[in-house]
Amino acid sequence: MAEPTKQDRALLAAIFSKMDTVAMSVAVGVVASLGLFIATAILLLQDVPTGFPIGAHLNLLQDYLPGYMVSWPGSLFGLFYGFLVGSVCGYLVALTWNFTHYLALGALLMKAAVMAD
Amino acid sequence: MTNNPNSDNGVNPDLLRAAIKFNAIALGCVSGLLAAAVIFIATHVSLAKWGVNSGQYLNLLGVFLPGYTASESGAWIGAFWAFTFAGLAGFLTYWSYGRLLGRRLSESVGVADETVDPVLKPAILRLFGVPLGLSIGSAVGGALCITTWWLVARGTAEQSNNAALLANYLPGYSPSVVGGVIGGIELLFMVFVSCQLLVAVYNKVVEIRHGKTV
Repeated sequence: MAEPTKQDRALLAAIFSKMDTVAMSVAVGVVASLGLFIATAILLLQDVPTGFPIGAHLNLLQDYLPGYMVSWPGSLFGLFYGFLVGSVCGYLVALTWNFTHYLALGALLMKAAVMAD
Repeated sequence: MTNNPNSDNGVNPDLLRAAIKFNAIALGCVSGLLAAAVIFIATHVSLAKWGVNSGQYLNLLGVFLPGYTASESGAWIGAFWAFTFAGLAGFLTYWSYGRLLGRRLSESVGVADETVDPVLKPAILRLFGVPLGLSIGSAVGGALCITTWWLVARGTAEQSNNAALLANYLPGYSPSVVGGVIGGIELLFMVFVSCQLLVAVYNKVVEIRHGKTV
């Protein structure tokens, strides 16, 4: 019978490895924060006629993010909300990923225990 | 005791394929559940805020999510389609990530860490920027391209003023066959760059909290 190699054992460890919830939360928060800020800034830097509404659609985010608007002060709210929403999403991604793996691992262990009987 | 004669540089290819499939299903479930939750919650927030006048823009999602409307029942339909499409995208994303990484998948935890036990002391996942950027970027860019082509196929591309607004962020994009391809490629590039930042921050925080991979 072939003995699993060190790389095989590492691969098994990698399959069931935990996603760091804090790290993913911070990482997604940073990306989302910068993303919303840059999206707002791009609209503000565009050349539009005076009186023409800027970012009418992006402004709809106000309904979900109080204080945010397509303006330079509003973009700072965007930085904050982007990080907040992004970090919550990142945390949920990591949590759900880990939970899915724990469930699968539990099912595999139970199956192995039943087969051993 | 002998090493597996079929292994590719020490990694069993069957085990690698099974590992990629397992995690692809896991990511499909994760992304599907989260997308469904987002649609469901956003619909209910809109209903709570505007009641019968809700869904002025959310209803546009009905173009891509058949049967969806900003209503109580529509929220469930939207959640179902979001789970389906996002789940498929998540599956394909991890599948391509795993295929791009190949046997390097085992390097994400460090071969030298002998104390790792999947149950009692699981390893901490590290990420790889280039494969992640390419796989997520391809999924998102492909999704933009396909949804744009769907608008063209429906015959509503010329009336899709909201979709045309994407040209603010994706120069050259338009609701057309060629515009969809241009937008898809640009979005792939943007997501690729974003993934490099995400992976750099994630791996750095993991390194600070758990130490460097040997």
